[in-house]
Amino acid sequence: MGKHLTMIQLMELDACMHCRTCSSQCSVAVAFEGIPNINILPSEKIASIRALASGKELTPEELRNIQEGVYLCTNCYRCTVVCPAGIDLQKLWFDVREILLQQGYPEYLVLSPLSFYRGLMKEEIAQKNYEEPLTQAREAIAAQCDLMRKKDKVLPLTPTDRKLQSGLNLSAQAKTFSVCFGCQTCTTVCPVVGNYENPQEALGLLPHQIMHAAGLGLRDLAFGSNMLWDCLTCYQCQEQCPQGVHVTDVLYELKNLAVKQVREKTLHPMERK
Amino acid sequence: MEFALFLGCTIPARLNQYESSSRAVLKKLGVGLVDIREFNCCGYPLRNIDFKVFILSSARNLALAEKKNLPVMTLCKCCYGSLKKADYLMKENASLKKDVNSTLEKEGLKYEGRIEIKHLLSVLHKEIGIEAIKGKMVATFKGLKIATHYGCHALRPSQVVGFDNPVAPTLFDQLVEVTGAESIEWAMKLDCCGAPLWGINDKLSMDLTLKKLTDGKKSGADYVCAACPYCHIQFDKVQKMILSQRNVNHPLPSILYTQLLGLTLGIDRKALGLEMNEIPITGIEELLAKEKELAEQPESTEKTESNKE
Repeated sequence: MGKHLTMIQLMELDACMHCRTCSSQCSVAVAFEGIPNINILPSEKIASIRALASGKELTPEELRNIQEGVYLCTNCYRCTVVCPAGIDLQKLWFDVREILLQQGYPEYLVLSPLSFYRGLMKEEIAQKNYEEPLTQAREAIAAQCDLMRKKDKVLPLTPTDRKLQSGLNLSAQAKTFSVCFGCQTCTTVCPVVGNYENPQEALGLLPHQIMHAAGLGLRDLAFGSNMLWDCLTCYQCQEQCPQGVHVTDVLYELKNLAVKQVREKTLHPMERK
Repeated sequence: MEFALFLGCTIPARLNQYESSSRAVLKKLGVGLVDIREFNCCGYPLRNIDFKVFILSSARNLALAEKKNLPVMTLCKCCYGSLKKADYLMKENASLKKDVNSTLEKEGLKYEGRIEIKHLLSVLHKEIGIEAIKGKMVATFKGLKIATHYGCHALRPSQVVGFDNPVAPTLFDQLVEVTGAESIEWAMKLDCCGAPLWGINDKLSMDLTLKKLTDGKKSGADYVCAACPYCHIQFDKVQKMILSQRNVNHPLPSILYTQLLGLTLGIDRKALGLEMNEIPITGIEELLAKEKELAEQPESTEKTESNKE
């Protein structure tokens, strides 16, 4: 780890006095209340990075927590602006983020708009290193979805698995999918679906099919579709649904559930192709 | 008229010209702005991953503004959509609100749901009004065609945001047209800019952005105009990346609405940050005709004046 950071950055790690000014100004510090990973807070993140750079053996769990901590950042520069020691924290997070993403632990936060900044900075990242964490996160999720691979499998549709339905209760809005009558308006107006000649090949299940899969409790089909992660959240589908199904909000909740379930099952680094 | 200005994360870090031009425009129009330093991320980037963190992030900001008894004004459509959504859900779901407030309480904060959340464009259109803006203008554009871009999270879900008619909005067109520019008809006007997928699926994001910009260009626009940092960065910095990757030669430059309006209000071009856009927009100044000066001066001097410029 130490050898990937510059000499200045290694010296900066020692310059930190742990005054916590950065954490008091951090734009995402509030996330710590919901995701209890201390590495979200910049002052604690830098302490962990110091341990990492000194060559200390860290457990896979510790490494994953640092990785999540450096990714859960809006790159707003506030920590860097306020640091009394003048440490370029923003640059440090960026560099450590890229180093850790190459270690093979899937990071699901890459599938969120937190990646916008990484996209803007892509010219600083080698092409292969840029794409791999994105592919890996999707593959890690798909790998947990058996049904996506067994296309010919006959499914017993009764009794319906209600667990997925009752799990979609975060916002109370997502439950609306049960009134879907399959008119496909959501799919017809989706600009992502419209972008492909063969949308099913590129996206897996399309929006109306995901609503249907959710209704039938077919978790794998809902989670394993690229459509979920390629959703723009532009709300065209939801706005135009004649049945008032909160399509975009259902997709949001499915993403939340997928990440939560898959994260627990993929605690170890994955083989890189 | 006073608002708590909600800048979010992207504008101070990556789009200074939007902040400086907005402040200058609002000052000119007599809107008071209060900065609350404790504001945090609106939660938008975390909606894919953790709903509770998203709500909590938004709610904390709303509670901070409520403590000062100030309505919130956002410059970003994604911040706007997120704050509105959180507000809507907490009003609808008492147990969610209770849950959120029990966390906020640790900091001595509480959100009751008393304050209004507005986007800059609504403030300009509804609070200040087209006529009042017109009264402050020193120049108008002549022969300028603008592809007005609404932005998804301002328009939809309409039940939550209540920004304008979601199918046939006119609010932003009116604001563009008051500058003298023509807000053109284009098929993809209400479509997404592509930014939500930038960094997640760049190929798809580029496809959508390019399709939209090509439509604007084909429909005769000289510039695309946005009032959101994500949309603008997508149309500016990301468009520049697309042009070099996909061998496209004709960009449709993006101008922020506050830059466009600022020019007609006679605001200093440095405050508008015209030169900070990645794809140059300074050519737009040539289309500016100083109406008020013209009216006061005989025609001959007026021509030499504009030649000098």
